[in-house]
Amino acid sequence: MYEGLDQWDYVVAAYAVGLIALGWLLASSWRAMARAEKRREELKRR
Amino acid sequence: MKAKHQRLALVVLALVAIVAAGLIAAWTLRNQANYFYLPEQMASEPPAVGQAVRLGGMVQPGSIQTLADGVSVRFVVTGNTASTVPVRYSGILPDLFVEGSGVVAEGSLGPDGVFQASNLLAKHDENYVPRELEGLHGEDAAQQARETVAGLD
Amino acid sequence: MHIYANPKRFLSLARWLMPLMLWSGLAMSAGAIAWGLFAVPQDRLMGETVRILFIHVPAAWLGMGGWGALAIASAALLIWKHPLAAIAARAIAVPGMVFCAICLATGSIWGRPTWGTWWVWDGRLTSMLVLLFLYAGYIALSQATAREGGSQKIAAIFALVGAINIPIINRSVVWWNSLHQPPSITAGQSSIDPVFLWPLLAAVIGFSLVFGALVLMRMRALIAEAQVEARLRRRALDDDTPAPTRAGPAMETA
Repeated sequence: MYEGLDQWDYVVAAYAVGLIALGWLLASSWRAMARAEKRREELKRR
Repeated sequence: MKAKHQRLALVVLALVAIVAAGLIAAWTLRNQANYFYLPEQMASEPPAVGQAVRLGGMVQPGSIQTLADGVSVRFVVTGNTASTVPVRYSGILPDLFVEGSGVVAEGSLGPDGVFQASNLLAKHDENYVPRELEGLHGEDAAQQARETVAGLD
Repeated sequence: MHIYANPKRFLSLARWLMPLMLWSGLAMSAGAIAWGLFAVPQDRLMGETVRILFIHVPAAWLGMGGWGALAIASAALLIWKHPLAAIAARAIAVPGMVFCAICLATGSIWGRPTWGTWWVWDGRLTSMLVLLFLYAGYIALSQATAREGGSQKIAAIFALVGAINIPIINRSVVWWNSLHQPPSITAGQSSIDPVFLWPLLAAVIGFSLVFGALVLMRMRALIAEAQVEARLRRRALDDDTPAPTRAGPAMETA
């Protein structure tokens, strides 16, 4: 009578969603910072 | 310096006004925004028969019984007071639906005073307790009972 | 120009603070997640799904705390007109929104096996969704004003007005009957067993450090972008008026 869902599926799905979003955020923030600071240094040197 | 103080006062004043407005809105909303009726609320101001509402409370221990057709269950929902509402439901039960635990039933009040549920949601309480410490409880007790019975056969 | 008041001191601070927060935060979060996934026992009722706690609660805290920080930075911007406050506010918005979205997504995934539904329109879930929309509105508003050269004041006022939602989210489970359970941790008392509470605390601290590192990263990016833009603009002015009279306003006083 009970649904008997596999609980680990939900745990894995939750962590996958959370960690992928966090990884994307870290990567994009890091890239934006590195690019902007590189551009500034290049301009300064010219 | 004076202009800065003026701005500070203005921001604080605006903030107080916003908070007050929000609190007033939340206060007037406090009845409309309830997600479900408690059994005592259903007793004091019952919804119309057949009107789609939700009922929330605790499943009374020992009240769950499976009906003759094998898919329908009957149980009693209790609230904070003595008032109770009997509920009838046929369908798949959520995993967390156990005696003594919270439940929200979607459906309507029947003419016989029995709440006809079309959907059941299990409500979790604020306690997080590991299984070992709790001893045998809920699902585990049922599991244990099943295993014991199977062993006797 | 205010933006160049003195980002130098901030930048020298951020240069060592950001990696420190990032790596310690990542190490702590990874440890807490491993602890929560593999070392913590099952919950009495929820079983294995209790492990979602260790990502759901930090995300909720940072989604709400992020707006709190956004509102404080906005108030500082309105009162003291500090240029760093404007940059901080803009830097907080996107990480705050992502954590808010993580909270909603993991909560929804948790709700399916626990409550039997992905989503309900109860007070807690609805007010958290409103917070997500507030973040989206703030980001759109602050980007539009930044691009069109308007003042950040409007976005700051929006941030302060939106702050009213934070206590509503916090109190929603107390004021109204909701499917979401009431708070587990209240005024020094916890109804979470220590076996779950310690890894949860580690996860909250770890994710908060990562959040701080993200904000510093984005602040550095915004400052560098503004400096590049100012330099380009000054150069364009110099090219237009090569005469000895440099009529253009001094864009960079640093």
